Amino acid sequence: MNTSMKKLVTVGLSTVMVSGIIAGCAKSDDSGNTASSESKTLRVTMALSEEEWAVMRKEIIPQFEQANNAKVEAIQVEAKDVVKKLEAMKQAGKMEIDLIAQDVNNTASLVSKGLVEDLSAYKSKIPSESIGKLVDAGDFEGKTYFLPYRPNVEINYYNEKKFNQYGLTPPTTWDELLHVAKTLKEKEQIGRLALKIKLSGDVIEIVEFIRQAGGDPLVLNDEGTIKAYTFLQELWPYLSEDTLKASFSSTNGFLAQESVYYAPNWPFGVNIIVKEGGKTEIKANSGYSGPAGAVKTLGGEVVGIPVGSPNKELAVSFMEYLMSKEVQETMVTKLGWPSFRSDVYGQVEDWQKPYFEATQKGLEVAVPLSNVPYWADVNKAINESLKEVVIDRKDVKTTLDKYAAVIQKAKSDYENK
Amino acid sequence: MASKSANTKIWIYLSVLIISFCMIAPVYILIKISFSEPHEVLTQHPTFLIHDVTFKHWKQVFESGNLWEPLRKSFTVASLTMLLALAIVTPASYAISRLNKKAKYIFILTLFFTKMFPVVGIALPISVTFLKWNLLDTDIGLVLAHLIGQLPFMAWILVATFSAIPFDLEESAAIDGASRMQTLSKVILPVAMQGIAVAALYVWLNSWNEFTYALYLSLSTKTMPLQIYYYVERGGFFQQAAYATILAIPVVLITFILQRYLKSDYLGGAVKG
Repeated sequence: MNTSMKKLVTVGLSTVMVSGIIAGCAKSDDSGNTASSESKTLRVTMALSEEEWAVMRKEIIPQFEQANNAKVEAIQVEAKDVVKKLEAMKQAGKMEIDLIAQDVNNTASLVSKGLVEDLSAYKSKIPSESIGKLVDAGDFEGKTYFLPYRPNVEINYYNEKKFNQYGLTPPTTWDELLHVAKTLKEKEQIGRLALKIKLSGDVIEIVEFIRQAGGDPLVLNDEGTIKAYTFLQELWPYLSEDTLKASFSSTNGFLAQESVYYAPNWPFGVNIIVKEGGKTEIKANSGYSGPAGAVKTLGGEVVGIPVGSPNKELAVSFMEYLMSKEVQETMVTKLGWPSFRSDVYGQVEDWQKPYFEATQKGLEVAVPLSNVPYWADVNKAINESLKEVVIDRKDVKTTLDKYAAVIQKAKSDYENK
Repeated sequence: MASKSANTKIWIYLSVLIISFCMIAPVYILIKISFSEPHEVLTQHPTFLIHDVTFKHWKQVFESGNLWEPLRKSFTVASLTMLLALAIVTPASYAISRLNKKAKYIFILTLFFTKMFPVVGIALPISVTFLKWNLLDTDIGLVLAHLIGQLPFMAWILVATFSAIPFDLEESAAIDGASRMQTLSKVILPVAMQGIAVAALYVWLNSWNEFTYALYLSLSTKTMPLQIYYYVERGGFFQQAAYATILAIPVVLITFILQRYLKSDYLGGAVKG
């Protein structure tokens, strides 16, 4: 065999091998959509912990599969990653997800980018026993994009031992909050009270302060917001430095390792801090009120269907199933999740009861973030304005006027689109 | 004079010791947390040594069902990326290294052109294309995505490696009757082994730790970094530590296997005399 023939054979064999690898490793077109000719596969994304997944996979999903002759492939996807994945799938024209259970405060971008189906036609499927504001959270400009599934609210954790040591009680008003922050800093020389205000991520707690003072985050330079920012400017020097690093996960660490003695966080933190970590001295209440009363930001999850979902009708059936009394009761009993239905009564475990009660009390005053398509601009303006006020110590009124104009521009840009 | 030299040595050893401690301490803490009872860790003043050893966090991770498939996927993808990159880049780099200086420079610049864009910026359009090709949740999809970033760097390392090998060595082999292929496989490649090992190690580690493309191109099957991300976002302190330790084990093994090629005297021996 001459040299050029050898080269030709080598190139040919290499091509066959590479093609073989690609063909062998690539996924066939129909996989994932149909398990057999009769049963369908429903792909659902959720963001759950291992414990929660165990309940979902053992107690909730199998009954639906049996009743509908379907397979539910439930997949872990964090709320902030859902947008990226759906965007890529939509652009590729290959939607691989049928249903998303999405954080209620991460829905605006899905709607503004046209990634989720208009579910207005299915609004009648929402149970009449629904309470609270979770139903409203799925509506954008008169259309329904999400149906309710699971309400949630942050509760305020405190270290009972440390509070007793310094003669403190968990704060129920702004004045008490300032007093606790000042006392802890005075006693330990560093701030031990943290808020989850990173000045870069979501603005759940900043909006709580604004609303507790009677302000409107979409206006931003009203009297209430000025009052809230003025208070935060006064409070800031007494806060723990961990405030700027506080996420769900890190806050659990701060509380468990006692680098902070007070911080708001989501109720699931009790499973990590108290149940797994054995820190029974960490207690919780529903938080504090401002001059205009008690307001919390509604969290939790709603369910929606991505545009181009291959199994839309089955996804709607699964949504109905998740909203049913039976499933909601299982979620209360097995997971300690409060329900959005008034007719659901579940029994949580004894150790979990005080935290569950704090959550339910918080839910009574919980309001969702504003459902406007330009929320991303509002979110950014709130973070940047507060940063200038608390870090750069700029004048509150002047700063808020500047950012109120930014929000107005974002609103008019959207309206003129 | 002798005392000055001894002082210098002491400072060098001291510096090495401090640097080593700074590098090893975080890994030790990670391992320590993964084997500790909660009360030893969840306190304002945790102890440096482990007093109550427990295996329950490791057991939880092993029994979670979130370990073996991600481990397999990450290992397969990293190894395939490394092998394919070596197969493509080694001959290409050798050829580039033997071009004249100007042409070599143009090639290197062209290779780095793809690195000018941040991964987060190009990951979406690339992932969209891969999704169209039905490469979601496939090992090969991720391998191809990782190659995009790894080929230029590997080429950069290997062009420099081959350029450092004197042309005289090839001429001597030719005089001794070796063909071009024999020269490459029996003379050049063994001499370049150190650079090849560094490049291979670099590519394997980068692929093993890669996150952005894995996030876009994985849905049902995850890689190890995606699982770590999951535990950081959702899990407890101890599972995070156990899982992160597991992520580090193959890295240590691969580094250990390849480090025997990382000797500085390869080229020295080849050109001696």
